[in-house]
Amino acid sequence: MDKRDAFRHNVLTSGHRACSGCGEAMAARMVTDLIGPDAIYINATGCLQVFTTHNQQTAWQAPWIHSVFANAAAVAAGVEAAMRARGKEMPVVVQAGDGGTFDIGLQCLSGMIERGHDVLFVCYDNEAYMNTGVQRSSSTPHGVRTTTSPPGRLSQGKHHLKKDVISIIAAHHLPYAATATIAYFPDLKAKVEKALGIKGPRFLHVLSPCPLGWAHDSALSVTVSRLAVETGLFPLLELEHGDLTGVMRLAEQKPVQEYLRLQGRFKHLFNTKQGMEEVRHLQALADAHIRHYGLLEADTEWDTRRAMHSARHGRGGYAQVTVSAPREVKNGG
Amino acid sequence: MAAKLAFEPGSSTAYHTGDWRSQRPFYHDKWPPCGQTCPASEDIQAWLALASDHQWEAAWHKLVARNPFPATMGRVCYHPCESACNRKHLDSAVNIHAMERHLGDMALAHGWAHQPLTPGRQTQRVAVVGAGPAGLSCAFQLARRGYPVTIFDAATEAGGTLRSGIPDYRLPKSVLAREIGAILALGITLKLNTRIGEAICAETLREEFDAVFLAIGAQRPRLYPGDSSQHSVMSGIDFLHRINQGERPALPKQVAVIGGGNTAIDVARCARRLGAEVTVVCAQNPHGTQLGQPGAEIPSSQQEIRQAEAEGIRIRYRTGVRRLVRSGQHLSGLEVARVDQVHDRHGNFDPKLFEGTEEFLPAGLAIFAIGQEVDWSGLESLTQAPGVVLGGDAAGEHRFAVTAVGSGYQGAMSIIAFLTGIPPLREHHEKAEITFKALNLDYYPKQARRGSETAQQRIDGFDELVTGLADNDAEEEADRCLSCGVCFKCDNCWHFCPDAAVIKKADGYEIDYDYCKGCGICAQECPCGHIDMERLTA
Ligand SMILES: Cc1ncc(C[n+]2csc(CCOP(=O)(O)OP(=O)(O)O)c2C)c(N)n1
Ligand code: SF4
Ligand code: SF4
Ligand code: SF4
Ligand code: SF4
Repeated sequence: MDKRDAFRHNVLTSGHRACSGCGEAMAARMVTDLIGPDAIYINATGCLQVFTTHNQQTAWQAPWIHSVFANAAAVAAGVEAAMRARGKEMPVVVQAGDGGTFDIGLQCLSGMIERGHDVLFVCYDNEAYMNTGVQRSSSTPHGVRTTTSPPGRLSQGKHHLKKDVISIIAAHHLPYAATATIAYFPDLKAKVEKALGIKGPRFLHVLSPCPLGWAHDSALSVTVSRLAVETGLFPLLELEHGDLTGVMRLAEQKPVQEYLRLQGRFKHLFNTKQGMEEVRHLQALADAHIRHYGLLEADTEWDTRRAMHSARHGRGGYAQVTVSAPREVKNGG
Repeated sequence: MAAKLAFEPGSSTAYHTGDWRSQRPFYHDKWPPCGQTCPASEDIQAWLALASDHQWEAAWHKLVARNPFPATMGRVCYHPCESACNRKHLDSAVNIHAMERHLGDMALAHGWAHQPLTPGRQTQRVAVVGAGPAGLSCAFQLARRGYPVTIFDAATEAGGTLRSGIPDYRLPKSVLAREIGAILALGITLKLNTRIGEAICAETLREEFDAVFLAIGAQRPRLYPGDSSQHSVMSGIDFLHRINQGERPALPKQVAVIGGGNTAIDVARCARRLGAEVTVVCAQNPHGTQLGQPGAEIPSSQQEIRQAEAEGIRIRYRTGVRRLVRSGQHLSGLEVARVDQVHDRHGNFDPKLFEGTEEFLPAGLAIFAIGQEVDWSGLESLTQAPGVVLGGDAAGEHRFAVTAVGSGYQGAMSIIAFLTGIPPLREHHEKAEITFKALNLDYYPKQARRGSETAQQRIDGFDELVTGLADNDAEEEADRCLSCGVCFKCDNCWHFCPDAAVIKKADGYEIDYDYCKGCGICAQECPCGHIDMERLTA
């Protein structure tokens, strides 16, 4: 056990092998420390699983299971049913990448929600299959360069649009689904805490910049995720039983170019006429989100400026302030 | 039965990812521009931080460590700190002087007492000549460090120019007297009505004390050279002196005040309060540039100028006096002319008047506020003697009252260095500067500046014009400080580090270099520029 920090448990602690500046590591660290160590975590295959468990070492300090790539939601459903059968109550949390959510994990996830399992599913969306070397996924925005959507004479990067997964999930009419990102800790905290207070299937979609796959400076992970929101490309939403119940208002809409130019994965777009057309297309998509969700005029407490503001002595911390003793984990039945 | 785990929780910590690093973050306090600009070198950021935590008395102690006159300076200082404050790039500067006054007023209301820095007493005795801001500041610093200090002053009361030169509507005498009382309560001996060089001769003084601080001020007014008659002509400081002793002389209908400094403006505003129509004749232009600094041509404070004009005082800029127009002894007015250039090539004040632009300015009294000189008579032998330190206006630094306070501190440090033979420590001035460019301004909420700047203009008396901050306004104003370059414990670095390499402690944060990969996110997202990145060479 690592107990260096008196103010949080470090459910995901140091020594993990994520790339320097990894947004997924940051997101998972925040989310799991908001939930705390008294939960069962099921992790689909992907960067988060690989970089946290290496050479007989683990960075987790809570019960944690690695499923396979496709079936994390099904494993979680089983864990939750077993807990229920034994009369125990404890949050059951899935963590998966966008591949493990939008693509290969989608049917297990859909089934888990449809059957009403009391599970929180967290998707850390880095918009490609990063663990295996940056292949495009259905979450990759169009125009992005990946190893399987290389730009060239015939292509401006990925042809197809980013899958609107939150709408697919919301169409299950589950109690709670939300999007969030690392740049706005208080917003992420509010959403995790809200999700923890609700029974039934819940879904949290956390945009997690990847310095390797997005090819941005490792220092800019937070900045980039903030710009994704401020441009309207990644709207922050809350949906309850299928209805939109909250958005993060944009204090000011930033042009998508401010976001794109920081990232090598969009660099080729700025070299050709067709590329610039894709830039305009991305701008049009951002504008469409803003119109669709009313991001500029929504009447909400938060906006992107207020959510950012820092305060002397912080704005509140994590779930567990006292570090509990190592938990005993029982084998089998 | 509990099974042994294949993977021990947190076992990854055996692997030190710090080895991957090619750059290293480190926490690094900076020295913000407010404190850097404050002539008394107050650690403004530090006392605002304490105030923002509602540790009012601790904030006052932190402030007075460099300036034992917060209630006074909060009223009279022209606050260059605020012109430098980084917050002006977000909305408007922190109202530092109002906060300073608030703390000073709180101290007077609660009777907070200055604390000695050491319990021990020194044996070497120090004399301070002059009970003005420099002398009192020096005596305060020495007394806090255990030195027995005696202050000598020729006047009947302590305070120097703060007492004789600043009108009541800016600084009520009781405020000054109580702050001086708190300083003297450290055990300082004050000998009034004692002019060194007369009552006690300079040599005797030097022999009786181990060191001397000479801060006699610049008391002798510079006179108008072009007219030998004293009739209907006065110096600015003599005029202010009389007003400050409670005199309310009857003035002619029209009064001309000559000068572009704060004394001239104070004189004009007092004369206005006595019912005169006042015109200030001033060689400078308020927007004029000097040594590349816009607005620096005129030495008086822009705020005072605005208030004077609002009180109905006419200010004739870029105008100089050619001669006094008299019929016999009687003064009928001044002949003034347009000024071409104010300063010569070396930056010395030397106005040139244009021929053919003369005008007549009627005035029954001309008050010249064109500077003061140091009167060294009787003290000549001291100025070169060892163990004698000059301070305040007498050291030629004359500009602001608060400059004298800073000079008093420096003087005390020089005296201690002389007495102990140990050179003074250089402190935080060696810390890096921090400009607004190093701040992440988006992290700060916009928040309106608190406090009434332009109090209602009244010219019917000498009552104090500007009111202090209300308690709740002071709380809010303290929160407006951006804490430039100094951690304010916002938790950002702690939340954002992907590697849990920032450890939060009860009193701050620590970077665990065993795990920090050097991504730079903490430095990028620190609102106040407290974290620096350093490239590592292989
Ligand atoms: C059935 C199956 N197909 C392929 C793989 C190889 N594989 C492991 S992780 C991964 C990609 C993970 O991508 P994502 O879910 O987006 O997570 P990320 O690594 O980007 O966090 C792939 C293709 C696998 N483990 N199982
Ligand atoms: S590839 Fe991307 S998501 Fe994976 S560890 Fe590196 S930065 Fe994180
Ligand atoms: S914001 Fe605070 S620390 Fe920064 S310059 Fe202004 S008063 Fe000083
Ligand atoms: S955020 Fe963490 S890993 Fe990155 S430089 Fe700062 S301390 Fe190091
Ligand atoms: S990010 Fe916040 S907590 Fe960290 S050093 Fe900067 S001010 Fe302090």
